Amino acid sequence: MGDEMRIVGGRVFDPANDVDGVVRDVCVRDGRIVADVAPGARTINAAGMVVMPGGVDMHAHIAGPKVNAARKLTADEHRGDVLPRTPMTWSGVGGTVPSTWATGYRYALLGYTTVVDAATPPLAARHTLAELRDTPLIDAAFLVLMGNNLPLYELIRTDRARVRDAVAWWLQATGGFGVKLVNPGGVEMWKHGNRNITALDEEVAGLGVTPRSVIETLAGAVDALALPHPVHVHCNNLGVAGNWRTTMDTLEALDGRRAHLAHLQFHTYGGTPGERPRSRAPELCEHLNAHPEHSADVGQVMFGPATTMTADAPVSAVLREITHGRWINADVEAETGCGIVPFAYREKNYVHALQWAIGLELFLLTKDPWRLVLSTDHPNGGSFLSYPRLIRLLMDRDFRNEQIKLVNRQAIRRTVLLDDLEREYTLNEIAIVTRAAPARLLGLRDKGHLGVGADADVTIYSECSDREEMFATPRYVLKAGEVVVEAGELRGGHMGRLLRVEPDFDPDVVRSLEPMFERHYSVELANYPVSEPWLLEPSHTVPVGSDGGPAQ
Amino acid sequence: MLSSEPDTARLGTCAGCACACDDIEIRTSESAAPRWARTCALGDAWFAERLAPQGPVASIGGREVELEQAVSAATAILGEARLPLVFGLGHVSCEAQRCAVKIADAAGALIDPGSSPASTLAFMDHGSSTATLGDIRDRAKVVVVWRADPVATHPRLLARLGLDRAGRIGTGAEAPRRLIVVDTRRTATAEEADAFIAVPDHLNFEALWTLRALARGAALTGAVAAEVPLAQLRELLAELQRCANAAFLHAPTGAPDRLDADALALSALVRDLCRATHVVALSLRGRANAAGAEDAVAAHGGYPTPVSFALGHPTASLGEHHAARVLSDGGVDAALVVAGEELAHLPPDAIARLQTLPAIVLDGRNTTSAPWPGAVRFGTASTGIQHPGVIHRLDGVPVPLRALAVAVRPSDAEVLGAVLAGLRPAAADAGDTRDG
Repeated sequence: MGDEMRIVGGRVFDPANDVDGVVRDVCVRDGRIVADVAPGARTINAAGMVVMPGGVDMHAHIAGPKVNAARKLTADEHRGDVLPRTPMTWSGVGGTVPSTWATGYRYALLGYTTVVDAATPPLAARHTLAELRDTPLIDAAFLVLMGNNLPLYELIRTDRARVRDAVAWWLQATGGFGVKLVNPGGVEMWKHGNRNITALDEEVAGLGVTPRSVIETLAGAVDALALPHPVHVHCNNLGVAGNWRTTMDTLEALDGRRAHLAHLQFHTYGGTPGERPRSRAPELCEHLNAHPEHSADVGQVMFGPATTMTADAPVSAVLREITHGRWINADVEAETGCGIVPFAYREKNYVHALQWAIGLELFLLTKDPWRLVLSTDHPNGGSFLSYPRLIRLLMDRDFRNEQIKLVNRQAIRRTVLLDDLEREYTLNEIAIVTRAAPARLLGLRDKGHLGVGADADVTIYSECSDREEMFATPRYVLKAGEVVVEAGELRGGHMGRLLRVEPDFDPDVVRSLEPMFERHYSVELANYPVSEPWLLEPSHTVPVGSDGGPAQ
Repeated sequence: MLSSEPDTARLGTCAGCACACDDIEIRTSESAAPRWARTCALGDAWFAERLAPQGPVASIGGREVELEQAVSAATAILGEARLPLVFGLGHVSCEAQRCAVKIADAAGALIDPGSSPASTLAFMDHGSSTATLGDIRDRAKVVVVWRADPVATHPRLLARLGLDRAGRIGTGAEAPRRLIVVDTRRTATAEEADAFIAVPDHLNFEALWTLRALARGAALTGAVAAEVPLAQLRELLAELQRCANAAFLHAPTGAPDRLDADALALSALVRDLCRATHVVALSLRGRANAAGAEDAVAAHGGYPTPVSFALGHPTASLGEHHAARVLSDGGVDAALVVAGEELAHLPPDAIARLQTLPAIVLDGRNTTSAPWPGAVRFGTASTGIQHPGVIHRLDGVPVPLRALAVAVRPSDAEVLGAVLAGLRPAAADAGDTRDG
């Protein structure tokens, strides 16, 4: 890590610093980007290659009890996809839910250096942290589920001013990075008796809160704490025809506060509940274009195998009735639920083709790639290994049009994809949606760019007209200034760091939480916060800002 | 040696069973032996057996040696074996388990997390519906204990779930919760329950299948309908379908080497019931960190079954690679017994075979005897006594264990870490860590 290095003569794409395909050197020292290095420094000859910051995946499911349960369930995938032990690496298995070591290796081999786990129940933070410790090479963070949290519901009802301190306490107690809401109110209704919530103003039975009050209060708390990342919302009514209205209502409920919408594609359906869904991508794009305080990740569906895994357990019950296959339900007291259903998206299926097309519509209609980030909600919409193919779909209009011909025609006719959507993403735009934008939206000032002082996470690609091939096999990947991947092979490297936030809170809030813990939990409050150093370190605490906004 | 502060009270966690009760009050002082409160008899025994480990920290064939020498010997055993077996994980911390899995990978070993093959098969075929203890306590109106006896095996569980007699009484507005036991005979748990349904061993599958049939409105015909306690089963089903939220508590099913269908039948029943009622099932695992063991092997190896690293990558097989079976069959040529406690669970022929193999045993109990001549033995100090750590409770919730006394012996994780370092130096690994 103390090595100096000069990456020579590559075509650099660093959108955060307005560098768009300029041939220039990138210099590294002590794990950071620097302006210059000594003449004798090690060099990488990147002539004819494309140089970008390391990839940042801001919404994926990679560690913790839900992911591990899904690993156990997908044995059939693992048999066909093994990673052999080498002198440099532990062995593992792949498929849509790879083993821990395999997850880190494969993200690194793909040129990704930072990954955020989208949903961890705080009660199980120790489990997520332990798995992240065995997920090598990437810096990682996790979002803490708070949208179906019973003590928080009590505070929202009786002492709303305390919610801010409670949220801060929860983030400190878990090592988490941000606040995640999943089907607020709906998961609680599911655990109680297989029910759900379908409207923002529907009361969560007997608890005196509604999705609206939960969203408003927690978004407000996140802003009051000036967390680097806005409240991250998986809206009510995921997957339901007509749910675009719920999405719009949710955005409206935010009343000007910043927010990030998870896997927007799954929340962009027109039509009537119970009937065939349609696309409302143009409307959602129009909203996003007009509201700079809102952002989203796409949640693109890719044909082939997937494993749906979500805190939105009622959705999993619906999928179970479609697949009639394996299903996991796991209720987590006081906090959330979990549903897992192995799945496959098929080109000829109307709904799957529509989902695929809506994702592409979102990508192609948006005017601001800084606020609509690439994701498949791995592995819900498909594995992260499908990102290169998705990139090709975005960059190569001919390829995209060929693929459009192969899918369900009725579904395509419900979208605007056939309306001469000629747009092709440039390398600069790909660099935005896979690096610069997610880093900025996460408030990670040292990631996603190659300016002086940034972490030296760098991915170097060989130029190739087949963009899928190009992005699938980076020529070099640097993590914290060290070459971890070269010519498709792992070269060593260190454990990544946990990225976390530690906002201050009034310690009095613990007194408010004590009776609530007694009522709702089955562990002692004193044992709840993570204190084990081997789980929390090495870590980097991202400072909370004073301006309530993302970095830069 | 214990804390030198006068009569200090602190919160501890008991690892006597998989309940992982974390409200144990421990009092230590210079002058008196440590006292603890809120434990059950299993917990009392667990603490008592581990507070004062005796005998050498390291020995080979009963002869005390330096720790480093024993570590080298252990490393040599694992490195030279063609197919070593790693087992006993359910008794040690998550940190030690992760290390044990890495040892298995490095040594090309077979590792058995200790789960029941029948339960694993049911999981792999169907999945599962489950809940953590707090949600069962607060939501399940009807709880069925199916061929398990938590009063005996997990003494504090019913009370913690609000299912003891006092806990079941309603608050006036609500109807009381119901506890129903289904078993071959009246167990201690049955004595505590509201109702008991007797189902003999040989009709267990039939009883579960009958419930499925009733739930799905299928016709019952012939001999089976006459043999099972049909009226009681109908009544049970009606109760389950009337309530909004119900739970099954069951023992991990089947003998270690049998793939019987009962677990599949229970899992299928729960799933069928889930269409109408919110139903969860909880396996009452015995070993304190059984859930953690399954989690550790699955996280690194990718499977819920025993995993073999013999081919240089994880492979899994159900039913063939359980510790008792491979020891009896003679398939392995060395063993790492991660916890001496596990030996009590092996059948005699497996023990006999084990005693002929090069073996390494870790034991944190007060026992002074080496298991057999030739074994490399480490007298560790248990997590939760001299070392902090984490275990996964029977419902999967991670619970911290606290160090209650000054550490004078290494932990299981430290010993396993040293053995691992001998097998595979960390410096070579991409992103490896030796922490914890």
